[in-house]
Amino acid sequence: MQREGSAFNGLGVVMLKELADHLTSIRFIILELIVMLIAVGTVYVASQQIKDTVAEDPFLFLKFFTTSQEPLPSFIFWLSLLVPVMSIGLAFDSVNGEYNRRTLSRILSQPIYRDALLFGKFLGALMTLAIALVVLWLLVMGLGLLFIGIPPGGEEVARAFVFLLVTIVYAGVWLALALLFSIVFRSAATAALATLGLWLFFYVIWPVLAGELSQIIVPPDPRYAALGLQTPGTVVLEQFLARLSPSTLFGEIVVALLDPTTRALGPIYLSQLQGAVLGAPLPLGASVLIAWPQIVGLVAATIILFVIGYVAFQRQEVRA
Amino acid sequence: MRYGFIAAIAAVAVAFATAANAQDAPKDVKGLYLTSDYPAVTVRPGETSTVSLQLRNYDVAPERLVLSVSGVPTGWTATFMGGGQPIGAVMPASDSNVSLELRLDVPKNAPNGTEHLMVTATGGAAPLQLPIDVTLAKDLPAKLSVNAELPELRGTSKSSFEYTLSIKNDSGKKLTVSLAAQAPHDFDTSFTEEYGTQEVNAVPIDAGQSKNVKLKVTPPNTAAAGSYHVTARVSAEDTSATADLGLAITGQPKLELSGREGLVSTRAAAGAQTTVPVVITNTGTAPAEDVELSGSAPNGWKVTFNPTSVDHIAPDQNKEVQALITPTDKAIAGDYVTTITASARGESASTDFRVTVTTSTMWGIAGVGIIGIALLVMVGAVARFGRR
Repeated sequence: MQREGSAFNGLGVVMLKELADHLTSIRFIILELIVMLIAVGTVYVASQQIKDTVAEDPFLFLKFFTTSQEPLPSFIFWLSLLVPVMSIGLAFDSVNGEYNRRTLSRILSQPIYRDALLFGKFLGALMTLAIALVVLWLLVMGLGLLFIGIPPGGEEVARAFVFLLVTIVYAGVWLALALLFSIVFRSAATAALATLGLWLFFYVIWPVLAGELSQIIVPPDPRYAALGLQTPGTVVLEQFLARLSPSTLFGEIVVALLDPTTRALGPIYLSQLQGAVLGAPLPLGASVLIAWPQIVGLVAATIILFVIGYVAFQRQEVRA
Repeated sequence: MRYGFIAAIAAVAVAFATAANAQDAPKDVKGLYLTSDYPAVTVRPGETSTVSLQLRNYDVAPERLVLSVSGVPTGWTATFMGGGQPIGAVMPASDSNVSLELRLDVPKNAPNGTEHLMVTATGGAAPLQLPIDVTLAKDLPAKLSVNAELPELRGTSKSSFEYTLSIKNDSGKKLTVSLAAQAPHDFDTSFTEEYGTQEVNAVPIDAGQSKNVKLKVTPPNTAAAGSYHVTARVSAEDTSATADLGLAITGQPKLELSGREGLVSTRAAAGAQTTVPVVITNTGTAPAEDVELSGSAPNGWKVTFNPTSVDHIAPDQNKEVQALITPTDKAIAGDYVTTITASARGESASTDFRVTVTTSTMWGIAGVGIIGIALLVMVGAVARFGRR
């Protein structure tokens, strides 16, 4: 039956209820505690290393995000690892859990459309993650101020803020994927396993596989190999394949945003570097422009995954 | 044996030389003679003068001769000197000479004029007589002359000009000549010895001799092109001489290049032309002609100028040209260095300009379009699949 009226009728109610449920759940508190501990640890270690650095750096504050010290990896590494885990942890049972608890038909008997339910579930989880990430971001900035006592410049704050937005979008991709699988699979455990499996595949296996596949499809030219260079065709294909993974896209955006001297994310010909002043920082706009295709990729992937889940949910039998 | 032979030869040679000395006089001259190289001399009042005399014995037996001098004016003192002490008699051996001197102490107030003195050597035979005329005269005036070998020199304001001056003392006595030079303001002058670097203020020159000194003139770097005059002046006692020297400075252009108001950075979009004003300043002392402009930029970049060259820049003037810089389409964002060079006949200046390349925002708009399409798909799905 075709619905009448706005698709978003009751969206606010669902979103706020989801938000409240997430924020009070033990699952979220555990995830958040892990992230907080890691944040404090990495920032403390980074500040120790920054204090040892004498050289003047106009982007000292951004070093809190990128500095690592053995055996602890940098903050952005932990973030790229834990943001998907948090997203999947919040959303893997959002639809099939309701179904299994026999509450889905009860909700839908209220004057709430399916559209609103799904949008509300997605936005509620995204808002929960956004709150967590903003708190985390403020924590890092505050600890940074506390540890080194130098206020960050406007450009640094702007870069860190764009980085925060991108991290939320990255969380959205995994959220949309987890939501899709929770719609497709009736069992929550299957959905969780499928999502985590896909995440592990993209995070660990795909970068290696992309390199191997590109070498098979475009074999390296021995003339380039003799000069110790990579074959341009192979590199381009490898990069194209690797960028199918959201993790790779996020990593590239982070590099462009938090290292202002980054000039390009793809392969560069030596001729393009001729006369270039290396080490000169780019303005924020130029850095965002470099990473713009990746950002677009993440946003578009979120929307497309959500739309697929939406279509699947609309066509589903919800009565248990 | 061999050394003995050489010694014998040497002895013969010495003996022969002695014999030859004695044989200088003609064979038919015989007897004792009292002679003088200059029997008429000029002396200054208040000074001591010596007249050298010789007693010569040609082939006669040695004889004791008593010396006397007559006609000495009152107040004068005449003394015979021989072997460094006063003497009264001379005894030349056969075929030998005895040198002696007649020392005359002339009082300061002696009147001018000629005095006739008679030196007499009295012995066994007829007395030997030699008249000596002593003329009292005032001092010869000191006289100097100075000449430059190369009085006109030419060079740039950075070079130093070296004149070799020949100073001649034309007076009858040794003079200490002081040296001075008059040059335009801020020109540095110094005198040095002819071969050497020691600077001198004065040089002693013997009577009738000449000496070379070098005058080094260093113009200030800022000296404008043109001809200048330097006067070298040598003076001693109451005399002086001058030499007029010429100095032609052929100035030199010196270029400096910078952006307008010293700004040497600009922004340019990849593949799009940007205009940078470039100011060429001539800080030299001569006009710069035919100033050519060139740019050295990364591969694929285009650097042209409008106008492409400047005909003439007068000293202390500047000209502005527009540098048109086009980064290559493939340039990646960031800072690049472009060197712009202005050159005019061997003189050149260059400055690095920093070009911040920004890439086109077209792909950014395309990205927004992709997100828009994704949202449209979502709206379409909501409209198509929306149900209770």
